[in-house]
Amino acid sequence: MNLKTAHIKNFKCYKGSFKIDFSQGVNIIVGNNETGKSTILEAIHLALSGVLKGHYLRNELSQYLFNNEVVESFLSNLKNGKNPELPCIHIELFFDGHTTSDYAKLQGDNNSMKTEAVGVSFKVEYDESFNDEYEALLAEKNELQTLPIEFYKITWKSFARDSSITTRSIPIKSVLIDSSNQRYKNGSDVYISRIIKNNLNLKEKAGVSQAFRQVKESFMSNPSIEAINKQVKKNSHISTNKNIEISVDLSTQNAWETTLMTYLDNVPFHQIGKGEQCIIKTNLSLSHKKSEKADLILLEEPENHLTHSKLNEFIKSVTNNCKNKQIIISTHSSFVANKLGLENLILLSKSKVGRKKTYINELPSDTQNYFKKLSGYDTLRFILCKKAILVEGDSDELVVQKAYMDMHDGCLPIENRIDVISVRSLAFKRFLDIAKIIKHPVAIVTDNDRKFKEKIIDKYEDYEGVESIKIFADEREELNTLEPQIVDANKKQLDILRKALGIKKSRYNSEKSIVKYMVSHKTDTALKLFETAEEIKYPRYLEKVIKWCDDE
Amino acid sequence: MTNNKLIIAAAGSGKTTLIIKEALNIDKSEKVLITTYTIENEKEIRSKILRERKSIPANITIQTWFSFLMQHGVKPYQGSMNDMLFENDIKGMLLSNEKSAPKFDERGRPLFIRGGGRQYYGEKDFKEFYFTSNWRIFSDKISKFVIGCNEKTKGKIFTRLSKIYSTIYIDEVQDLAGFDFEIIKMLFKSNINITLVGDPRQVTYATNHYRKYPKYKNGKIKEFVNSELGKRIGCTTDESSLKKSHRNNQKICDYSSRLYPDFEKIEPCECVNCRKTTTHDGIFVVRENDVAEYLETFNSTQLRYSKATKVDIAYDVCNFGEVKGKTINRVIIYPTSDIKKWIKSNDAELKDGTKARFYVALTRAKYSVAIVYNYSDNEEINGVEKWK
Repeated sequence: MNLKTAHIKNFKCYKGSFKIDFSQGVNIIVGNNETGKSTILEAIHLALSGVLKGHYLRNELSQYLFNNEVVESFLSNLKNGKNPELPCIHIELFFDGHTTSDYAKLQGDNNSMKTEAVGVSFKVEYDESFNDEYEALLAEKNELQTLPIEFYKITWKSFARDSSITTRSIPIKSVLIDSSNQRYKNGSDVYISRIIKNNLNLKEKAGVSQAFRQVKESFMSNPSIEAINKQVKKNSHISTNKNIEISVDLSTQNAWETTLMTYLDNVPFHQIGKGEQCIIKTNLSLSHKKSEKADLILLEEPENHLTHSKLNEFIKSVTNNCKNKQIIISTHSSFVANKLGLENLILLSKSKVGRKKTYINELPSDTQNYFKKLSGYDTLRFILCKKAILVEGDSDELVVQKAYMDMHDGCLPIENRIDVISVRSLAFKRFLDIAKIIKHPVAIVTDNDRKFKEKIIDKYEDYEGVESIKIFADEREELNTLEPQIVDANKKQLDILRKALGIKKSRYNSEKSIVKYMVSHKTDTALKLFETAEEIKYPRYLEKVIKWCDDE
Repeated sequence: MTNNKLIIAAAGSGKTTLIIKEALNIDKSEKVLITTYTIENEKEIRSKILRERKSIPANITIQTWFSFLMQHGVKPYQGSMNDMLFENDIKGMLLSNEKSAPKFDERGRPLFIRGGGRQYYGEKDFKEFYFTSNWRIFSDKISKFVIGCNEKTKGKIFTRLSKIYSTIYIDEVQDLAGFDFEIIKMLFKSNINITLVGDPRQVTYATNHYRKYPKYKNGKIKEFVNSELGKRIGCTTDESSLKKSHRNNQKICDYSSRLYPDFEKIEPCECVNCRKTTTHDGIFVVRENDVAEYLETFNSTQLRYSKATKVDIAYDVCNFGEVKGKTINRVIIYPTSDIKKWIKSNDAELKDGTKARFYVALTRAKYSVAIVYNYSDNEEINGVEKWK
């Protein structure tokens, strides 16, 4: 019992139709800012609960729910005398597992795939019963500035076209945990109340409301309240036979959830730290035991309020308790992604053509494991940049950056979304495994270590022919690392090199001695080269890397 | 093996009570549907459960036959039936009391065929055949639509249904006709346990007028079950569990049984609680002029064939068709002229519909049935007593 696919159309940043698949356990959505990660979580939660940002959307429709471009094109078409169709938001959720009665009830062909499926369809659409009003509006003005949202309605149906569905009839319960922190008017947190309520069975729920009612009733029968009421009655001059008194509001159905507050060690829940709030909410929803309902936990960027060690604790509880629960998590944190498993990654990206998603579920298992153990690696930085250059250490990182700047008017590679990442050379292949699957452009800059065949040709033969992967190294084995390579590239202008390094010709008069100096002051020389104004020459293989950066 | 059952019941024999008792005994994890043709009976079932249980258990759904067909038969796969129905919602149902979808000319005048009958749309005109212009489906074609859609989807409708319900009860099954029989057949074939309960004598409605299985109209469900199911679909017929009336006394049972001499005679039950007597029990004829006095004395509920009959509005009044399933202490019946003929001589032929309605009216009363009938002083009327 889980969410298999979401179809999102015209909702917020999604122009036109967007489809995304989810697997049963953990799903990690990553992507740059503005690629629509949070919107996916919001859309799923909306179609499962009717709730957006803590409020029932039914009463709070607005034009801003719609994709801006879609609205603009509608308005401009209208202005140009065309008869455009009013835009419609459509969120469809396809479920997996249709063996139980509750699921079968949602089964039918009312979906955009026009096939038999189990799921729900949530639409914000034009309400045809306003035809007269809409026509009158258009007759009066021949153009509109905004979408006529007052003529819109929400249509929430199962794939069997049953419009009487409610959160209760949908067998997947969702909890959205984000940092927006929605509260009831008394300050009690909407989500925490809901999560706690979800944990109770019917009998327990009835028990709570009963207890709440009794407290109110005993308030009413308290002698001092009775006395006050007598007083009120005596002093007020209203018509005979009518009784006036003060009382507590017993009218609302679920009064207790909006009135009761959750405390943690005597501190109101919303007053505790946000990081702690996030952990508690998540743990509560993970501990949810009701077996008849499947749970879907939607987590938005949990790293936001958590320190590294808290994050670790958080991930641990997610991985330990996520059995039989589906989790969709959006994150910017490589640590979160590595720990929860890169194989669960869904990468969102945006291009001129539209939005795209890539799944990394075919990652070799030893590579998955590698990143789980060594979760400090910046996998997401690697995935999210336009092109990545992997280098072997700090000094290579500095020199490559400097080479790039020299050829790009002082512009850092990162400013063009080219990320130079320093990793241990043992990890190169692990990153290449990821790049191979997502066809991510990556260059490796590496030393030959005097064993060109073994260290370069043999080591990377698995990636030969993979277009997005390029290996840059020099085959001259005597120039085994970066330092002799630089000296070699500058052998005709050793003075300039010496100047850049701040060393004297008298002490370092041969190429060999400069190499020796550089090797023994590795980081130092790299820093000096990075900061120098001298025109240093770079080894051929480095120049090629920089050229590769500019390839389309 | 699934359990398919047809229970033939006498009026007042407690068939709804039996259904409810069985349904409430089914394990809470299994979903149960109780469906019946009329809204009145659906309400009756609901309130009977509420009297027993305070609340309707979550695993039990009660809905009318049409609402059931719309929700689980028409809507889930309407798109697969016809592409137009992906785009257009079916906006409910239009109750059609006669054959639906007649043709009209451009000026809205009915079109006729050469022999003089009306022209109708056929299945080739999909939209017009099944729907009104604003996409309401004709009630007489719902079950045909469901069967058609099930064939198109290679059985998906009943496969889906069998995942939802483990047991389905159909009360007042005698009201079903035409393609409804085909639906019953499909239900029998599925792995849902089906129980049909009905009284073939009480056919006061017919769900559809479509000419399918004409042999079995007017309540011949038993004959249908016996001859149309084939060997692989099993259904047991039970005519004994519900043959005694808990409502009517001996005299009322005897008199009402005269309407259906081919059926086994209905006998009153022997329960002590059901067999209370009063000073005025049995079947009586009352002259029109004495009706006012009679009503004042006994406060009987007036039953009439249709609204057109004049009654005394100071007392309760119901149409024959509305009282099915109800128990009333005393009734007074305003007979139609055909019924009067039958009262005079029980050999007189009564139309099926009239007979069924009259039968329903007769079998409502616990103690006394009065029939407004201007008898002459020396007239011998079989089976009834003269009042005054």
